[in-house]
Amino acid sequence: MSVLETRGVAIRFGGIQALTNITVTVGEWEIVGIIGPNGAGKTTLFNCITGFYTPNDGSVWFKGRNVSKLPVHERTALGMGRTFQNVGLVKGSTVRENLLTAQHLSASYGIVGGVLGAPATFSEERRLAERAELILGLLTLEDLADTQVAGLPYGTLKRIELAAVLATDPEVLLLDEPGSGMGPEEADALGDTLLELRKEFELSIVIIDHHVPLITRVSDYVYCLNFGQMLAEGPPNVVRNDPEVVKAYLGEDPDAPVDTTALDEELTSAVEEAVPGVAG
Amino acid sequence: MSALTIEYPEDAEDVAPSERRREATASFRPGVGGWVARGVVGALVAAVVLLYPLSVPGFRAGEFTTGVIFAIIGLSLNVLIGYTGQISLGHQAFVGVGAFTSAYVVTVQGQNFAIGVLAAAAVGGLQALILGGVSLRIRGLYFALVTLAYGTLAEDSIFNIQTLTGGGAGQPAPRPTGFVSNHRFYYLCLAFLGLVLWVDWRMMRTKGGRALLALRENPRVAAAYGVNVRLFTLFAFVVSGVFAGIGGALFAHQTTFVVNVVFNFQLALVFIIMTVVGGLRSRSGVVIGSALFALLPPLIKMLRLERPLKRMDLTIPVIVLAAAAIATLVALRKRTRGAALWAPAAIAAISLLVLLPGRVPFLEARLHDVPPLTPELAPLVVGPLLLLLTLTQFPGGVGQQIRPITQWLRGRRFDIHDRGARDVVVTDVRA
Repeated sequence: MSVLETRGVAIRFGGIQALTNITVTVGEWEIVGIIGPNGAGKTTLFNCITGFYTPNDGSVWFKGRNVSKLPVHERTALGMGRTFQNVGLVKGSTVRENLLTAQHLSASYGIVGGVLGAPATFSEERRLAERAELILGLLTLEDLADTQVAGLPYGTLKRIELAAVLATDPEVLLLDEPGSGMGPEEADALGDTLLELRKEFELSIVIIDHHVPLITRVSDYVYCLNFGQMLAEGPPNVVRNDPEVVKAYLGEDPDAPVDTTALDEELTSAVEEAVPGVAG
Repeated sequence: MSALTIEYPEDAEDVAPSERRREATASFRPGVGGWVARGVVGALVAAVVLLYPLSVPGFRAGEFTTGVIFAIIGLSLNVLIGYTGQISLGHQAFVGVGAFTSAYVVTVQGQNFAIGVLAAAAVGGLQALILGGVSLRIRGLYFALVTLAYGTLAEDSIFNIQTLTGGGAGQPAPRPTGFVSNHRFYYLCLAFLGLVLWVDWRMMRTKGGRALLALRENPRVAAAYGVNVRLFTLFAFVVSGVFAGIGGALFAHQTTFVVNVVFNFQLALVFIIMTVVGGLRSRSGVVIGSALFALLPPLIKMLRLERPLKRMDLTIPVIVLAAAAIATLVALRKRTRGAALWAPAAIAAISLLVLLPGRVPFLEARLHDVPPLTPELAPLVVGPLLLLLTLTQFPGGVGQQIRPITQWLRGRRFDIHDRGARDVVVTDVRA
């Protein structure tokens, strides 16, 4: 049975058709990878799923319910947790404060009681703090708990973001490039983390990333987007060797001599995306 | 889930030295002597606040009371500007509605003071709810414009309703029994300030306040955390309105007679300047900044010597000197020695040129033709100077500058470098 499903989602921005008829199914406990070249519409798809964008066509189903009309925070309440491509954290706050903010929905007191200092808020705040501590320990972030988020290295931020989204108590994790800014070793450790988190929290995970080895290792099923259209889908190894997918990534027949200019462009834009202002 | 720990490769570069220092500060616990020292300093501050006004004459105690009331209003504006990042240019109307509500309930309805303040708080919250419900869909500059329009509307129409406000004649607002004297009323206002501070503190320590900080910096992240952005912006607006209502009610009973002309746009400007100069998101800073601006007019009054030099008012030269001092300070901070000499020299030369002949060069105006600065206008002359200084040199205002002291009082290590701006330039989350 599927937990999360998009049915024929399509969205236009002015004259640009960003997504066309995208149908994605995520089963319980499944890890689904979404790959595709830059500008393929992967993040746009995430925005449609989580409610930041309203699709022009099609619907989003979560736990057997049509959630297409729900605002972002209500989808979070139902159990969608997402991370952002460029780190979605409250940067002026400390790591711990971020994890407390992320537990917004599980705090059981009312806002008025909180403001007036009702006794129940104190014990509930202690419970939230303990849970934050637990999650920080899980991702070995305890040492950074009282550090301000702004100024920390990118890879660490990605890990903190993962901790924060876990604090929202999700059933489906939607991770937008969790491995960017990480070296091969860290990306490897991230793969372990994701597999263990799935077991520990009983999660389904949807993951966008450019680390193809990471995707092939953790995913049960992979979708490949190109120019807003579904290019290929299937088990990771099948998709990776799909000639259409290889063509979309390299722009050439794999048997023909590699056109290095296209490859260079691809690399440049990948670098530009990771570190704006460096390339070109 | 406690059985699970994920090991990450050791990375020495992960933690910058400054972070290590901050960690060391976080785990610091002062010894017995340290706590005694902190207790003594804390007691001294409390003694000044609690006992000093007793030693001054009644009218001066009244000026301190205004300082306390301004602090409540500053905290009200801090909720809006500091926590949610929305600017209100019509806060004088919020305060005015509170003032007239309490005056009306006490004078016309014959109720007691407590009911007057409660009514003022409720009506303050209600007007914020209505105005916010209509206008919080828009943010930033356009929201400021709506509040500006509301302020003008209140000034011209609501505050002229004869039965509610007495029209231009004003509405009496007697002090409550037992607190008639200026000294006693000061302590009553202090108690209300304590209440407002408590509510503000609890708010920032619970989910409501955290939601506000998140949505100010990044509404998308806040929504992804499960925060209903619009609802919580409205919530902040209502809290701000309730604080303003309480401040307004106290203001009414402090002056004992409320007249509508007091609540003009100039007052709204002073409110904003004092909050920003005090330091957004810093309770102690906002309280100090607001009290400072309330005490500015009496201070200027003291400075105004009775025209000793050529029947001239001394306020403008004093302000010019203050400007020169600020320019020097800025130049020194920037380590531009040349400017440190040039700026004051130029200002001094101009001052001399003007002061000695008593006339402005090239203009057919003698200096004493320039109208003297009235104490009432002083905050609007000194305010922008301080605002400029805050925005360019000391982001975070007074609160940021006294942070080493407030942190020390809370049991942290004294860290003089803890004054840097903690604000971050919020980059747009590409998503």
